[in-house]
Amino acid sequence: MRPFIICCMISLLLLTFYIREGETGPIHGVRSVVTTITTPVRMVGSIVASPFHAVGNVISNVTAPQETLSELRQRNEQLTAEVAKLTEAEKTAERLEGLLGLRSTYSLESTAARIVGGSSDAWSHTVMIDKGTVDGLEVGMAVCNSGGAIGQIVEVSATSSTVRLLTDETSGISAMVQRSRAQGILQGQPDGSLQLNYITADSDVSVGDIVITSGLGGVFPKGLPLGTVTSVNRASNATYYTVTVRAQSLAENNEEVLVITSVSAEQAASSEDVASANAQSAGVAPAPAADSAGKND
Amino acid sequence: MEVRDPARARRMVVVVCLIAAVLQLALAPQLSLFGGRFNFMVVLALTMAPACDIKSAVLAGFFSGLFFDLTAAVPVGLMPLLLTVACFVLSMISHGMGGGFSATSMRMVGVAMLLVNLAYGFALFLLGLESSLLYALLVHGLASSVLDVLAAVPFLMFGSSTESKKGFTARSKGTRYKSYTSLK
Repeated sequence: MRPFIICCMISLLLLTFYIREGETGPIHGVRSVVTTITTPVRMVGSIVASPFHAVGNVISNVTAPQETLSELRQRNEQLTAEVAKLTEAEKTAERLEGLLGLRSTYSLESTAARIVGGSSDAWSHTVMIDKGTVDGLEVGMAVCNSGGAIGQIVEVSATSSTVRLLTDETSGISAMVQRSRAQGILQGQPDGSLQLNYITADSDVSVGDIVITSGLGGVFPKGLPLGTVTSVNRASNATYYTVTVRAQSLAENNEEVLVITSVSAEQAASSEDVASANAQSAGVAPAPAADSAGKND
Repeated sequence: MEVRDPARARRMVVVVCLIAAVLQLALAPQLSLFGGRFNFMVVLALTMAPACDIKSAVLAGFFSGLFFDLTAAVPVGLMPLLLTVACFVLSMISHGMGGGFSATSMRMVGVAMLLVNLAYGFALFLLGLESSLLYALLVHGLASSVLDVLAAVPFLMFGSSTESKKGFTARSKGTRYKSYTSLK
């Protein structure tokens, strides 16, 4: 009976300390060490599993008539990202009266990494990447792939980091509708979908609109594609729209991603955007001003 | 006549623990079915518990849970608590029955897995890490339980094939139990 009571007490103490400590507490430190030690095993698992992922894709694509569905999806993702990027560049150029010209919209300061595994539990949407503090990564840094933003680092060890995906229900990121500049917070849902919240009823949003990062949180550069609006609903007398968004890109295993290590002043939200967000949310909503992919941490 | 070999049994336990740890690290993150994921630490602890004495079962539950928590982006301490309690109860109610693959052991382990996964989902909901109780319990919890039960079958079969031969000196159960295999 004594070991039982002792183990229960230790578990409760661990849980209490974990919840109360910050991101750099001793329990996080121990986890960081364990993660560093176990990363090679995860990488081996990722390498071994990659052919099976390909087999799974082949089976799911067997009904495609000529080109495989994965190729079409990839092409569609690239094109949508390209459209978002070009549209954003055009609007920026217009607003700044051609000052920026054809300068690349995303001149990101970033570090390349590779996804080496998914979440170990069923309750969270995270992926692990093969870079950590040794490569200069820190908690809070934004992560994107070729299609756009995918998440934010919530745990970091020496050689690996855990990225909480946008689809995780504890994730929230400042976003806006590219066409109308209506601003809100894109949050993950329990079923893995995305919802753009705090879009006021007087905003202009319609199905097919592209949702991009607003840059207000200072974590994600402004203009990264996040997804496409799939439905817009509003209950009678409701202050906000219920906007469902389909994620622009999925985090696939073994995929290369970019960790954005710093955001320049040009890539952050402008004073106009901040003023617009404040005006939109004045008196009716919490200002959509912070990117947070890990409210629990 | 087969001779009881405690050193061999210990070696086999270590091997099973290592296999479960490798599976948890390498395989579990790669597989997700119907919103659930394998948790080989839950499988390891709960399949070992019926064959162990209470103290060993409790320690197996605690350390399995701790390993899971330290290798996943989850609150540290929750899974050790649940597995400690589950292994304690499982070891208590299976006292004298022994481990191995049987309908009774499968039922007990399956129910324990379901309860652990549901309790885990509920605890995450209470901690504010899950916003939907329905998804936490009926999607993630239930699907993970089904996967864990499937993973438990080889563990129990392996356990029954390597189970130490019990005789009158079997201290672990505290019973004067003698298996048929030792009488061959």
